[in-house]
Amino acid sequence: MKKISFIVFLLFFSIGKAATIQVGANFPVKKIKQALALAKDGDTILVDSGIYKEGTILINKKIYFIGKNFPVLDGQHKKEVLSINANDVVVKGFKVINSGHAALNDPCGIRVYDKNNVTIQGNILDNNFFGIYLQNSTNCIVKNNIIKAYGKAEQLIGNGIHCWKSSNLQIIGNKITGHRDGIYFEFVTQSVIWRNISNNNVRYGLHFMFSNDDAYITNVFKNNGAGVAVMFTKNVKMFNNYFEENWGDSAYGLLLKEIADSYIFNNRFARNTSGIYMEGTSRIKVEKNSFESNGWGMKIQASCMENEIVNNNFLKNTFDISTNGSLVLNTFNANYWDKYEGYDLDKDGMGDVPYHPLSLFAVLTENTPSSMLLYRSFMITLLDKSEKVLPSITPDNFVDNKPLMKSLPL
Amino acid sequence: MKKIVLLFSSLLIISCVSNEPKPIKLNVDSCEFCKMTISNGKFGAELLTKKGRYYKFDDLSCMMHYTKENTNVQVQSFFVNDYAKDNTLIPAEQCFYLHGGSINSPMRGNFAAFASDKDQDDFQKQLNAKMLTWEQVFTMY
Repeated sequence: MKKISFIVFLLFFSIGKAATIQVGANFPVKKIKQALALAKDGDTILVDSGIYKEGTILINKKIYFIGKNFPVLDGQHKKEVLSINANDVVVKGFKVINSGHAALNDPCGIRVYDKNNVTIQGNILDNNFFGIYLQNSTNCIVKNNIIKAYGKAEQLIGNGIHCWKSSNLQIIGNKITGHRDGIYFEFVTQSVIWRNISNNNVRYGLHFMFSNDDAYITNVFKNNGAGVAVMFTKNVKMFNNYFEENWGDSAYGLLLKEIADSYIFNNRFARNTSGIYMEGTSRIKVEKNSFESNGWGMKIQASCMENEIVNNNFLKNTFDISTNGSLVLNTFNANYWDKYEGYDLDKDGMGDVPYHPLSLFAVLTENTPSSMLLYRSFMITLLDKSEKVLPSITPDNFVDNKPLMKSLPL
Repeated sequence: MKKIVLLFSSLLIISCVSNEPKPIKLNVDSCEFCKMTISNGKFGAELLTKKGRYYKFDDLSCMMHYTKENTNVQVQSFFVNDYAKDNTLIPAEQCFYLHGGSINSPMRGNFAAFASDKDQDDFQKQLNAKMLTWEQVFTMY
């Protein structure tokens, strides 16, 4: 009788409490797939350090999948390494390397298929085609991962963190280098990208397509092939980011194409070919940003309207603003322009003479790029000065009526 | 006299617009229509004008949109990437096309072009896509 009750007690115990299955060379369970077969919902699989070459590992139960001292999951350049096909899975502390490399089915380091509440945290991903791929997933967290690949210009490579048709995601504190796009959002809504560092990627540091109602805050995008692109999107908030050193003919700190109702606040654009390039952009507020040492501070195409550019610093740019048309439907107000030469007699901190940020030469080079050869020649400087007094080629309503006398402390 | 004629006629030939595509530099060139950097050598497209200017696109749909929006651009020829190869441009009029299915192109035009109908056949099963001709693609936009 005692024995039976003990067994019953044990049974209850094993049902009621989640078990921990240890995997490793020194444990009875040597293989991860073996452990996954044994595990029930709610169990923890604790993987000891070592190298595991088991092809594609498929998680289809609600488990905690934890690595100790970064066990290596090696895909041996064949297939996807880790597939997650269950809700509420936690993946933590693994080193995922060498996924397959194919254009057709996009093999990944870690991929989530149509699931909710998955957490991918503190992993190292090295040399995968795609890094982390969230497909049709909600409420997922991708946090503190280090994602590295070795993409070259003439070679096909996937994105670092690729999110497709998802919502309510948190992408926090990841470091991404060497992929095609560091972070890629397509049809992703209500999500936040916070404190990531995305640099030296082949194409974009961050790429938004058709993704509404998102925010990206305090990220660093540095030295990427073409900067950051936000396209075909509305309601995006871009706060406190660094856009730096994106050089090249088609490289922009921030490329805005077909975007509306967004807010660009307190970012820093430094040493880019163009700080911001805008096309088909409307109802955007650009406030308290710093544009420093860029070729062009902002390129605003004639297709942009109702944008407000307020309280920004324009410092040491070759050209502060450039445009390709004569129609001006955007407003500039109370910015600091280091090229401003006016005075402030009433001492209210605002210049008494309006400032025309569009120089004659910026318009000339927009139409004939090769005229750049004549930059800083005596004749051009003379023409620029006369244009400032009597605007003829540049649109005369392209004007900041209250330019600041001192730069803002940003 | 003959020599001069020969010289001039050869000059004329050289100065004429050639009908060869210009290779796309992946991750360097950008799309004329959507401004995105071209990074996938399976979906790229190129347009050659009668004046001899090349415009590059990252997606066949971008090229179509561009042509329909800029009617003042006189087109000499269209080129598209062969889906079965890596970044190889071929004349668009003679291509065989697939549309939809599991094709995922950068701007969601979702066209794949092939130099041979055999390739089109092979990939049709794999991608579960619809077969089209150039005329059908052209009239879609």
